[in-house]
Amino acid sequence: MIPGKRRAAVMLLSAAIVGAMLMQPVRSQNEPSIAASENVLLTFEEGSSPGIVLQCNLTSSYSAHKENFWMKNGEEIPETRQDNKNMELKLDRPRADAAGVYVCVYTFDNAPPANATIEIKSVPVITGHKRSENKNEGQRAVLHCKSLGYPHPIWTWHKVDNGGFKDIDNSTGRFFINSRDNYTELHIVNLDINADPGVYACNATNVIGSNKETSVLRVRSHLAPLWPLLGVLAEIIILIVIIVVYEKRKKPEDLQDGGPVKTNSTNNHKDKNLRQRNTN
Amino acid sequence: MRKPERPHEHCCCRATRQATGSRWKEVTSERIMSPAATDAAESKPPDGGWGWMVVVGAHISIGFAYSTPKALSIFFKEIQEDLGASSSEIAWISSIMLAVMYAGGPVSSVLVKRFGSRPIVIVGGLMCGVSMVTASFGRSIVYLYLSIGIIGGCGLCFNLNASLTIISKYFLSKRPLANGLAMAGSPVFLCFLAPLNQFLLGDFGWRGSLLILGGMMLNCCVAGALMRPVTLSCNPSAVAALKNMETTTKHNMSKKGRCLTNARQFLDFSFFKDRGFIIYLMGNTMYIFGAYAPIVFLSAYAVSQGVEEYSAAYLLSIMGFVDMFVRPGTGLIANSKWIRPRIQYFFGFAMIFNGACHLLCPMMTSYAFLVGYAVFFGVGFGMVFALIFECLMDLMGNQRFPSAVGLVTIIECFPMLLGPPTAGLLVDLYGDYKYLFYMCGAVIMSGGLFLIIMNILHYHMLEKEKAEHNGARRSPETGNQDGVSLSEAQREPTEAESAPMNRDPQDPSTDDTGPDITDHF
Repeated sequence: MIPGKRRAAVMLLSAAIVGAMLMQPVRSQNEPSIAASENVLLTFEEGSSPGIVLQCNLTSSYSAHKENFWMKNGEEIPETRQDNKNMELKLDRPRADAAGVYVCVYTFDNAPPANATIEIKSVPVITGHKRSENKNEGQRAVLHCKSLGYPHPIWTWHKVDNGGFKDIDNSTGRFFINSRDNYTELHIVNLDINADPGVYACNATNVIGSNKETSVLRVRSHLAPLWPLLGVLAEIIILIVIIVVYEKRKKPEDLQDGGPVKTNSTNNHKDKNLRQRNTN
Repeated sequence: MRKPERPHEHCCCRATRQATGSRWKEVTSERIMSPAATDAAESKPPDGGWGWMVVVGAHISIGFAYSTPKALSIFFKEIQEDLGASSSEIAWISSIMLAVMYAGGPVSSVLVKRFGSRPIVIVGGLMCGVSMVTASFGRSIVYLYLSIGIIGGCGLCFNLNASLTIISKYFLSKRPLANGLAMAGSPVFLCFLAPLNQFLLGDFGWRGSLLILGGMMLNCCVAGALMRPVTLSCNPSAVAALKNMETTTKHNMSKKGRCLTNARQFLDFSFFKDRGFIIYLMGNTMYIFGAYAPIVFLSAYAVSQGVEEYSAAYLLSIMGFVDMFVRPGTGLIANSKWIRPRIQYFFGFAMIFNGACHLLCPMMTSYAFLVGYAVFFGVGFGMVFALIFECLMDLMGNQRFPSAVGLVTIIECFPMLLGPPTAGLLVDLYGDYKYLFYMCGAVIMSGGLFLIIMNILHYHMLEKEKAEHNGARRSPETGNQDGVSLSEAQREPTEAESAPMNRDPQDPSTDDTGPDITDHF
């Protein structure tokens, strides 16, 4: 063979080998395909939430798969690890806290893990809220609401006035609202006994729907306990006066009789003699 | 003019000695008398009349004393949030209050002996009222310790001691009934204060509630106003002899002797030579150690057995409700002529009943059985507490009762503070409530058995000593119907005796009941 032709052959061969080597990773970058069930919308009518089953099926992959598990809202659900290609998650009688983002994750021996996402959405359900809050004047009151559900709602607060929902008037700058995903707080500082007492409503709204709950705020005045205190003191003084007057009126009579409070013994006359002698 | 020895007791007689000299000797040989001469100066407590108003006053006073530390715990959660304290710091408030209430016994007894019951109860009521009112302005937990714990505890201590003393002064033959009625104040006030405190807390907050509660505690002053000092038909020569003796002994005593007597005023250790007192004290200590822990842990135990929280709290109310009726009932029973002479045994029996209840509790698993347990617990608890001070009065008699009760309460302080934490430790160690009930039941039952057995021995030995005493001295025997037990006859007389007192040896524990007194005139 001519030397030039040999060099070209070597180069072609090495190019082919390199090309072949390069092609391997390209082929392995084809994602394994997972068939996942549809997104679910939770409803909470009586008897109409039988059970939800989420399914993921690994239909094709290029590497041996090791095991798989479920994750909810970014955290692994315990005891869901298995190595069956077909995996299910059963939720019996799901309540509002079943809503969220579910991910089925497949791990592979020689490849990065693959996953599929299923969302369970629901109307926000408000769980934690105080029915009533009693605070003193000038103190700070905190009303809070907690919700379950996904997606996370947008919170608003209203004041209930004669059956209607009014926006909270923050002209005095005493109202502060802190909201996070599932939790909201309404802070009222320096409570005013005239303007602030009443019914407050927290409203949670998301794509699916909205819910609201009310709390009653009562403001106690500083002087409130004084009236009962005065009443109690008056009662005590009256009773003491009655007792002392009764005693003073009885004492002179007692001294006139010259005897002690009558005993209930049937003492004989000797005793009476003694007593009579003792008086002058 | 000589200052009267006890200014609070009105001696209505202003007679001269000569008129009654000989007549007195005649009469004294047949009158009821108790060993000490000072007792002879009093003829007989009124046993009725104004005494019942005094019982009402004592009822109020004792009611506040026992129920306030428990009822205050309703405020603790809110105080905790407001002042930023931990739960154990908050719980100290009640503990300090109870500890001061019990530990202040000796001081209170000295004051009661000196000034009488009425001023002390009024001062106690004022202190309680002031303590609550100042506590309502508190900004730190230490401030609450001082105001509620120490000042409030002192006030309650004065109330308790003085109320018990004045009952012993006003009643003799009906004393168990009076004691039962007065001690019933504790459950009555607890039943009344607990929901009231809840209501006040909701409407006024803890500060407003403490303010109003302080006003209500001033009702103890009303109770004190009711406690009119008892007027006695007195025996002039005995009183005069007593005063003479007191002044002479005071002159004769050296400085050290005087110091000792002053110290003895507070803690009279001569009580420890009294066998009956020691027996009572030991039995009582064992009882108090096991008595409070089941109350503290009852609702927690019920919840652990599957009862819901609201019903579990209801169990304690049932117990308190039953307690309310059992105390006067026990007083009535103890007053009867079959039980009164054997009242120490009845006390031991009540303790055994209580202990048996606790031992059976771990077998109660369902709510119905737990309700039954709560009822029997209430019965046992009420029986013991109705008799607890009556037995001490019975043992010690009128004169020594105030100091004795001071000494008993300060010693009881320790088992009372140690009992619930020890029980809690048992629960933590074994993780099961049944050992707590076994321990408490066992301790209480052994206390009751100890009392019964030791009292049998004690009376037996007293009989023997009496027989020897009678053999040695051939003085006329008089029946003693003062309602005091045999142990009185063995007391070393601290004052001169005007006549030797002996009890009828055939009937070792003849305490008097109404009709029997007249038999000996």
